[in-house]
Amino acid sequence: MHTTIQLTVNNAPCEATVDTRTLLVDFLRDQLDLTGTHLGCATGNCGACTVVLDGLTVKACTVLAADVAGSAVTTIEGWTQDARQSGDLHPIQDAFVKHHALQCGFCTPGMVLSVQQLLKEKPNPTEAEIRHGIAGNLCRCTGYASIVKAVQEIARMSSE
Amino acid sequence: MAYIGSAVSGILDAKLVAGKGQYTADVSLPGMGYMAVVRSPYAHARILSIDTGAAQQHPGVRIVATGADIKQWSRPIPHTLNPSAFGGKTTDIYCLAIDRVHYVGTPVAAVVADTRHAATEAANLIEVEYADLPVVIDAERALEPDSPLLYPEWETNELMHVRFQGGDVERAFADADHILDDTLHLHRHTATPLEPRAALAHYDDRAERLTLWVSTQAPHPLRTTLANTLEMDENDIQVIQPQVGGAFGVKIPTYQEDPLACLLSKRTGKPVKWVEERTEHLMAGGHAREQTLKFSVACKADGTVVGLKVRIIGDVGALAAVAGWGMSYVASFVVPGPYKIPNCEVDLSIVVTNKGPWNAYRGFGKEAASFLMDRVMDRVADTVQMDRAAVRLKNFVPKDEFPYVQISGATLDSGDYAKALQDVMDKAGYQSFAEEQQRLHAQGRYIGMGVGFELTPEGGCIPDSFIGGYEGATVRVSPSGQVTVLTGVTSPGSGNETGIAQIVADALGVPLSTVRVVQGDTQACPYGLGNWSSRSLFMGGSASLYAAREVHHKVLRVAASMLKTAPEDLDCEQGRIRVKGQADREVAFNDVAEYVHKRPFDHHAFDMEPGLESTRYFRMGNIHHVPDDKGRINTYPSYPYAACVAVVEVDIETGVVTLLRYVTVHDCGTVINPLLVEGQFQGAVAQGLGGLIYEQLSYDDNGQLQTGTFMDYTLPTAVEVPSVEIHHQEVPSPFTPLGTKGAGESGVSSPFGTIVSAVENALMPFGVKIHDTPLTPQRVWRMIQAAKNGNNGGAKA
Repeated sequence: MHTTIQLTVNNAPCEATVDTRTLLVDFLRDQLDLTGTHLGCATGNCGACTVVLDGLTVKACTVLAADVAGSAVTTIEGWTQDARQSGDLHPIQDAFVKHHALQCGFCTPGMVLSVQQLLKEKPNPTEAEIRHGIAGNLCRCTGYASIVKAVQEIARMSSE
Repeated sequence: MAYIGSAVSGILDAKLVAGKGQYTADVSLPGMGYMAVVRSPYAHARILSIDTGAAQQHPGVRIVATGADIKQWSRPIPHTLNPSAFGGKTTDIYCLAIDRVHYVGTPVAAVVADTRHAATEAANLIEVEYADLPVVIDAERALEPDSPLLYPEWETNELMHVRFQGGDVERAFADADHILDDTLHLHRHTATPLEPRAALAHYDDRAERLTLWVSTQAPHPLRTTLANTLEMDENDIQVIQPQVGGAFGVKIPTYQEDPLACLLSKRTGKPVKWVEERTEHLMAGGHAREQTLKFSVACKADGTVVGLKVRIIGDVGALAAVAGWGMSYVASFVVPGPYKIPNCEVDLSIVVTNKGPWNAYRGFGKEAASFLMDRVMDRVADTVQMDRAAVRLKNFVPKDEFPYVQISGATLDSGDYAKALQDVMDKAGYQSFAEEQQRLHAQGRYIGMGVGFELTPEGGCIPDSFIGGYEGATVRVSPSGQVTVLTGVTSPGSGNETGIAQIVADALGVPLSTVRVVQGDTQACPYGLGNWSSRSLFMGGSASLYAAREVHHKVLRVAASMLKTAPEDLDCEQGRIRVKGQADREVAFNDVAEYVHKRPFDHHAFDMEPGLESTRYFRMGNIHHVPDDKGRINTYPSYPYAACVAVVEVDIETGVVTLLRYVTVHDCGTVINPLLVEGQFQGAVAQGLGGLIYEQLSYDDNGQLQTGTFMDYTLPTAVEVPSVEIHHQEVPSPFTPLGTKGAGESGVSSPFGTIVSAVENALMPFGVKIHDTPLTPQRVWRMIQAAKNGNNGGAKA
């Protein structure tokens, strides 16, 4: 069964016909070619598919595309475009690069979006709050230390 | 040297952090179909029949294939390491099972359809009739004479038997003050890179060429293997490795799905895409670690180990073509690790069972050897009532005895093990810990400190295989002075492209931003063996250095002619070539490059070969495959190591173990980029910690996997993994031009011995002795209860 949905994706209106079984992550990747959102487990555990849905992060493998009609979805592509300041990247991303808070990069877009959510809610998080804030995003490469360091730096910079 | 040794950010990071990395699943081609694989729900069964009728009729289906089809269309997949070359047994592995399945998840049929949904629906319509066979999931049971047999023609489940022996072991035992026996068990777990495996195969009917985009670590060997399996010319196959989302070993070999997707593309004339589901990965993507390690150690009262007997039983699951069994071989090869124990014997049985096949995972057996030797040293220390670190210090290979040949032929290259351990003890406050421990114990807290040591042989080089000790690279300078480095090594996210760019930028004296590293394309790159065993930087980087030096030599020759001086009087930095001590006499690197390309007949360049390009190969000088007088060969050229201290807290009410601190002194020779090396080490410790405490592939008695999704296969999050305190000890390798040793794998092995030692130390008041992993809360709680009841033989959960 198919249905037609209207929604906003990365600030632009979007209308699409989707199979009602289609997950939001597959819709974004396959139909809109927004491949910065990754699929790692399809059980809501790894967080590689994290996107922003109506202002809150969500794992896009746990949402049906048909259910986001009328909503606003922001992916890493749109967020980077919106959020970047002087250069090509947002300061969170700059801090990730500086501290090598990524290796293979597969978890990174989801991780960055979880970090921006965390900093929105807690601009000055403790180390424990940072670790809990990103606990829904698995990283198999970094062991998280460099990510924590990057977030600490960005929090410090924004509080200065 | 502007770049070598400095903490340069990863050259791909800015792209990846913006979500612009293109992974295999992100590549699409017009008209492509989607492949779904039907897998066995039985651990051991004969296939009686497969009815594909309904699937064939399903809308959108392009092709359905079974083992019978595959046998007509292709040859068996060559084993990445064939056990028969080591005196072991073997079996043919086709893309799909032919008539028998040996583990839950064995691929038995495949469908390609227009959409992913249609492919999955059609796969569900395939009716496979099985006759189930008795299952054996325990390796020791599998060795019994009346055990069910996986491959009846072998008349045993023992895939291979290996024995290493040196010195006079019996005499050493006869002369010892103490003899201690123990049996350890490491549990089954796996690498689980976040990016699942994926392939996009495109057979172009007009060109009669095959292109495969695939999440692999070794594109060139994969091409060779595909050519063999598909009966095609290598020239007609191009393998492209897009960005890889983590690999850790599991993406080294040729999997069944790789040639399968290619065959189905060839049969349908259209591209075929396959993306593995996480459950498929956990069932059939390759497992690791599960081994029983029995030891008997003979020591003197002063803690000197005089003899060691080891028996290893590796439970490698069913046999696949992916070389995982080799990890058990390496475990036995590495014993006795960093210790000088000349009277030593290792007896290894590699055993097949009805569980998922082993496949390479970071550690590659070295973690088992490390765990074993750490447990041996702890037991000796406890018996002779010495400090656990002091016993290690007593038994290390001394720093003036390198190269040191172990009983297996492993030729330890260089190091100062004792200094690394002493340094890490100082950094961690080892000597003053007991005081702190007692203070906290008085408050009802159980804190423990453990010490461990990992030796991590790297750059494995196995005779007659693509696991080899050489690498190639091309360095090419364009007319505008842009530098391209093409390598045979690849990067699955491990950062070697950045390290290689640093090496080349320094060798040429150009800005790093002008260097582009191209990897993972068989059409573009020199033949190379890919990424594994921490080989990429110390082998691929060395080949790149040689090629860059050759190009640099030509550049200097032309520049010297232009500046009317001798090449040795020139300095080249950041793209400016200057006469030493004369700032005003200079020429730009770019101008020299343009001159060489455009004016090969003019007087500065007419007497040399045109072009600014070099391809060089680098071979490790300390590998030897000709047996020595004791019949030994050396298959590893590089032996980085790490001394570690862990601090843990155990909640004795719940059995929860929390790692509070992990401190290391790590030697990987010359550090090209501390940011990258430390990132690798930290990530490796996280994997070791995850493997020890959280992750487990557990099977029931029928061979059904109980932990087939991330809901139950628990990976550590940022909450569980502390930031590792990493210190470097740089003892350069005498066998590489920059002194580099393998880096990247190290860190994954030591957590087993180090953290287990720390947990025992925390639970000293109960006298808990740990023999088995994982250290899940339930198991640790049971160990505490058992010890309270006077039984410290370890808990079997």
